[in-house]
Amino acid sequence: MSKIVVLGAGIAGHVAASHLRRKLAKEHEVVVVSPNSNYQWIPSNIWVGIGRMKPRDLIFPLAPLYAKKHIGYKQAKAIGFYPEGDNDEQKPYVLAEYVAGDEKGKQEKVTYDYLINATGPKLNFEGTEGLSPGKNKAHSVCTYTHAQEAWIALEDIIKQMKQGKKVKILIGTGHAKATCQGAAFEYILNVEQELRRHKVRDMAEITWISNEYQLGDFGMDGMLLSYGSNILKSSEMVEMIFEDRGIHWILGAGVNKVEDGVVHYETLDGEYKQKSYDFAMLIPSFSGHGFKAYDKNGGDITNKLFKGFMIVDADYTPKPYEEWTVQDWPETYQNPSYANIFAPGIAFAPPHGISKPRKSKNGTDITPAPPRTGMPSGITAKLVADNIIEMIKNPNHELHHKGSMGNMGAACIASAGFGMTKGSGISITTYPIVPDFKKYPDTHGRKLGKTFGSIGLAGHWLKLALHYAFIYKAKMKPFWWLIPE
Amino acid sequence: MTRRISKYKRFMMMNPIVQFFKFIFLSLKVLVIVAGGHGGTRKA
Ligand SMILES: Cc1cc2nc3c(=O)[nH]c(=O)nc-3n(C[C@H](O)[C@H](O)[C@H](O)COP(=O)(O)OP(=O)(O)OC[C@H]3O[C@@H](n4cnc5c(N)ncnc54)[C@H](O)[C@@H]3O)c2cc1C
Repeated sequence: MSKIVVLGAGIAGHVAASHLRRKLAKEHEVVVVSPNSNYQWIPSNIWVGIGRMKPRDLIFPLAPLYAKKHIGYKQAKAIGFYPEGDNDEQKPYVLAEYVAGDEKGKQEKVTYDYLINATGPKLNFEGTEGLSPGKNKAHSVCTYTHAQEAWIALEDIIKQMKQGKKVKILIGTGHAKATCQGAAFEYILNVEQELRRHKVRDMAEITWISNEYQLGDFGMDGMLLSYGSNILKSSEMVEMIFEDRGIHWILGAGVNKVEDGVVHYETLDGEYKQKSYDFAMLIPSFSGHGFKAYDKNGGDITNKLFKGFMIVDADYTPKPYEEWTVQDWPETYQNPSYANIFAPGIAFAPPHGISKPRKSKNGTDITPAPPRTGMPSGITAKLVADNIIEMIKNPNHELHHKGSMGNMGAACIASAGFGMTKGSGISITTYPIVPDFKKYPDTHGRKLGKTFGSIGLAGHWLKLALHYAFIYKAKMKPFWWLIPE
Repeated sequence: MTRRISKYKRFMMMNPIVQFFKFIFLSLKVLVIVAGGHGGTRKA
């Protein structure tokens, strides 16, 4: 009998736990440790942030589902890793602290045979002075509560515009090394469309602020896309959309401070600038959770497990951009020091960025960090679950299931406005996610045809269809596993 | 605002009938990407 502990019940953790439970006999234990009592379908937070969905439309409580499916659940957060156990506990364990109920504050050694760390990112608001959701008129849509607060503030601004006030709206990244530009991109287009719907578009100046060197970089070094019968750069596609929607942009901006209605940023030219606003949504930088790890005798072995995020089978040798290869990217998400620990989704430490790194004239890194979107998070979680199942059956098994982001495609359906007849979506697929410049030297490292873009109402329908499909799947309703990650 | 998308293109982008077929096409295209699978990069 084996016990598999999954830390986190986000996209990666939930996918791993549900596949393990479905495929493993009941004698094996699957336990999820996660502080949030609800599952949330994060991509739809964008629609909460414009008031077109309520948080209840994208969340559901985990405890009843896990009870029904025989998945153990502890509403707790991991606070320490003991992969060799300690003097009192022979088995490896994670120290977890309960965050709710009668047991709140109580600590427990959660032992395991296999550990899946799917704790995603820490939303590092502290990394930018003055950036905190709802403070200084700057908001976030990274969680459903943040998104709900953003909508309350936006609704108020819309009311003011209706009374004749001209406003400035600023949306983008809130840190020089932030990632998740795609979410901010969706939000700016949705906000723009909502202002048109409310007939106040002419009262707002809307500006995109980003650490990207070019529009459409998305932390993925941009893309060369098939677009209808043309081949377009993603920068050209986004420029077309922004110009068409009257959205201004500031690029190469490393936001370092947020004050009430004013954002301070450094440019790649080394200039320090400010931009005022009445409403902002700025994505914070993502960081590891700052976990510590200890050996059997209590010695600190954090650097065996973590490098900010969790160390996996990537090649972390520092090298210049020109020498980056797809082979640097992990394939199995297994920790090299402890073969029974894995980190799928955002929880693993990437070997380096994807976008070309850039520094300002003052030496500040202003470069998007590499994104790990929902699809790769789900795929990596599933392959980790499959490898663990094989390891349980044969402990000396070589890991067969592999999925490098350099050999994996992703579909990103960016909402560009809500509505069954007036909505819009920008559907982008890329293959591979991490460009392979050796295989595809003439097309910026990606396969044309499998890397394509499309704009229109169908994109909105697709995004909405995915919302319902993935919530159905997450609820583990009949035949849920037929819906791919 | 600078018009960068022609009236015809916009009509095509927002026409529900055209977009219905586009929806089917996009769904299949996404499925093909997913079904295309994934793998390692280190061993050829
Ligand atoms: C606004 C927004 C929109 C997005 N839109 C899209 C989109 O359209 N398409 C797309 O593909 N991707 C999108 N993404 C990205 C996508 O949400 C992420 O790729 C995905 O959520 C990553 O999954 P994860 O499980 O690794 O991390 P998360 O989803 O962040 O899950 C982490 C889990 O770990 C838990 N946790 C945290 N700390 C601890 C701890 N100490 N102990 C135990 N558990 C812990 C958390 O509570 C959570 O349950 C979007 C992201 C944002 C923010």
